[in-house]
Amino acid sequence: MVEARARDNGPGAKAPKVLEMTGVTKTFGPVTANDDVSLVLHRGEILGLLGENGAGKSTLMKILYGLYKPDSGTIYVDGEEVQIRDPKDAVRRGIGMVHQHFTLIPPLTVAENIVLGAEPRKGGALDLNRAMRETEVLSERYGLKVDPRARVADLSVGVQQRVEILKALYRDARILILDEPTAVLTPQETEDLYRTLQELVADGLSIILITHKLGELLGVSDNITIIRDGRVVDTVKTSETEEGSLARLMVGREVLLRVEKGENEVGTPRLVAQGLVVLSSTGATAVHGVDIEVRAGEILGVAGVDGNGQVELAEALAGTRLVHKGRVYLDGEDVTGLGADERQERGLAYVPEDRSHKGLVQDFSLWENNALKTYDEPPFSGRFGRIFPKVMRRRAAQNLKAYDVRPSEPDARAGALSGGNQQKAILARELSGNPKAIIAAQPTRGVDVGAIEFIHRQLLEQREEGKAILLISLELEEVRSLSDRIVVMYDGRIVGEVGPDATDEELGLLMAGRGSGVGER
Amino acid sequence: MTRSSTGRGGSVFRRVLSEAVGALLFPVLAILISFAIGAAIILATGRNPIAAYSALITGAFGSPAAIGRTLVNATPLIFTGLAVAVAFRAGLFNIGGEGQFYIGAITAAWLGVSLGFLGPIALPITLVACIITGFLWGAIPGALKAYFGAHEVITTIMLNFIAINLTVYLALNPLRGSGLVPGTENVAAAARIPVLGFGLGRANLGIFVAILAAVVAYLILWRTKRGFQIRAVGLSPGAANYAGIPIGRNTVLALAIGGAFAGLGGGVEVMGVYGKMAVPFVANVGFNGIGVALLGRNHPFGVVLGALVFGGLFSGAQEMQFQTDVPLSLTVVLLAVILLLVTATRLVELIFGKRARILASGTRPEKGLGQ
Repeated sequence: MVEARARDNGPGAKAPKVLEMTGVTKTFGPVTANDDVSLVLHRGEILGLLGENGAGKSTLMKILYGLYKPDSGTIYVDGEEVQIRDPKDAVRRGIGMVHQHFTLIPPLTVAENIVLGAEPRKGGALDLNRAMRETEVLSERYGLKVDPRARVADLSVGVQQRVEILKALYRDARILILDEPTAVLTPQETEDLYRTLQELVADGLSIILITHKLGELLGVSDNITIIRDGRVVDTVKTSETEEGSLARLMVGREVLLRVEKGENEVGTPRLVAQGLVVLSSTGATAVHGVDIEVRAGEILGVAGVDGNGQVELAEALAGTRLVHKGRVYLDGEDVTGLGADERQERGLAYVPEDRSHKGLVQDFSLWENNALKTYDEPPFSGRFGRIFPKVMRRRAAQNLKAYDVRPSEPDARAGALSGGNQQKAILARELSGNPKAIIAAQPTRGVDVGAIEFIHRQLLEQREEGKAILLISLELEEVRSLSDRIVVMYDGRIVGEVGPDATDEELGLLMAGRGSGVGER
Repeated sequence: MTRSSTGRGGSVFRRVLSEAVGALLFPVLAILISFAIGAAIILATGRNPIAAYSALITGAFGSPAAIGRTLVNATPLIFTGLAVAVAFRAGLFNIGGEGQFYIGAITAAWLGVSLGFLGPIALPITLVACIITGFLWGAIPGALKAYFGAHEVITTIMLNFIAINLTVYLALNPLRGSGLVPGTENVAAAARIPVLGFGLGRANLGIFVAILAAVVAYLILWRTKRGFQIRAVGLSPGAANYAGIPIGRNTVLALAIGGAFAGLGGGVEVMGVYGKMAVPFVANVGFNGIGVALLGRNHPFGVVLGALVFGGLFSGAQEMQFQTDVPLSLTVVLLAVILLLVTATRLVELIFGKRARILASGTRPEKGLGQ
């Protein structure tokens, strides 16, 4: 079916424009998020919108979906100038959006979620049967297989995404915006999604695909519009470009897509988990008896699709979540019964996956954040429970400089920094204490390419200094390029171990739980 | 105000100054606007706002007696304002200042009499006891929140009823005094907090105890490990948990420390102003403490200033009514407008623009929707 559509001639000049944005400018205070941005979408086209985090992609799409009001610029839908004041306007114009974070209500069924807000009624009451029927019709028409009666909470992430797409289609969307749709999918689920998208455009829909992953766009899009610093730098035909030049356009300079790593000398086990069972916040078992051993001087990568117990594993190792069963050892010492503070004092660093709600107190200054774990240790504290802000500020100033955090002013509010700089500030705090073992959970999530390079280099430096590093990441490329060994987590279990040279195929099968010895879900 | 100095003299001074100006700008503007609205109301009722306001100000600060009244009004509000502010720093709304104040008051009324034989030494012992009972009373909603998930707004409100009725019962029954005014026996004269003199009337050294309490609150919050923990929990429970800071324990302690301030306030009121716990006892200090904390932006020093504003308005209002027939209730309008402007930061944005709101709330406005 994919082949049914000739890739190379795509919708050219002949296909009518369904959407045009011209001269769109949007500022937030002193920050210009979109500067005179213009973009064209043709009928039946998949347009990739490529840019780094913070380049302005999401802002532009939020303007299109009526969530933001542009300072200036015009939007044409089907050649007609339109004002989109809110998402309702957007829906009325046939624009649908699939957000990165789903907007489904988990306890409701698929059909209920799809019709929510536009329910078919019978005598004033919700006509659930019709909702079911219509869902079935839609799902058949577009080959998006879902069970209308299933509870959304019971569905896998890939299927939930299908429900989101159906939700937009139910509202007669002709233009579909997908915001980073592959962030939560396995490579195989990604393939499925792309097949679906092909069918949708074959049916006359037009799609805008927002992403910061270059590779993915090459396989699926017709054209790619690249945004950098709020401006459109270029729009290219996908068939006439390749990864390297896209990266250059996106970042504005040559980038090392892969960091070089030297030989390592592996030492004794530093961070060890035995038979670890951890419960999630809802009380379900999130980690089912995991054994892990990270040795000095190595990076152990944990690959897997989001939500397969990685967060709980990291938290249990770090001591911020209770260990239900099993033991955790740090440098040979049983630390299972110790809290996060005591483990940190024994040399465990933890870069959490969520910097805004865990890694930093957004409304604390940088110096307070720098002392977030060490405020109760000398030289930052003394007798009678006192703390010494002066000493904290001085130490923070050193750390911020050493890790190139901008601004390096210790009095700046943490929340005012960009994502990359926030992450560097966390790294500065965690690594400056000369830890023995480091848990790095998605250390580069949502940071720009420049910061990624910096963070990767820091982690490799720590490895060379003989630290034991556990790297948990959703980005396969990151896991592969940094790790010495890779384990894959699926459904709370380690389902396999591979080397850094494992193929996408191998990893993908493991990530989907289809490796050897693992049953189907 | 909230930060210590580094080695760089000039920039520190500028930073402190700009912070203080930023912090004071909005409360002051709010007060001015509320007075303008009040003036319109006075005009509408056919009276002279200038005369009314000059009477108000004279009544608040125009004479030693007026200043004395203002100080007497402000003192308990500083304590109850601190009770709200400290809890707020942990992200908790302490509506229980009233009850905590009453608990402190009955403690003082009891010990001030029964320890009276100790003379002046009874005073510090009594006040420490008030701190302890207030602390324990405040710890109750804290523990209910931390270990049973009961919302502190509900429990502190409920505990107010319990505290008020319990203390009134104690004051009228086991501790009932022989005087004409219903309430407890008078505490030993030697154990009372000395008055200031200088024609300031009933104003007593309690105001200095209150200011000292504000300094202590500041030091706890910004110069101790406990305060660091409380503020981290208040601003980001997730990050606090990540850093190994126990959330439950700090929830209990923040409400308990707040209760200790309110309890001390009750004690100072009894030992300083009344010499006994009369029934009915001073009402609404706990609730006005919420307003004081809001006006003071939950900063201990702001609380002191806020309490002086409240106290001044209360004492000036009587003079205003006496001289110009403008009713006392106008102060309620003024206070309401002030608090509305101080808390409704979006309203401020509407009037003065977004930059102003950032200054007013001390934080940035939320950026966009979703994510």
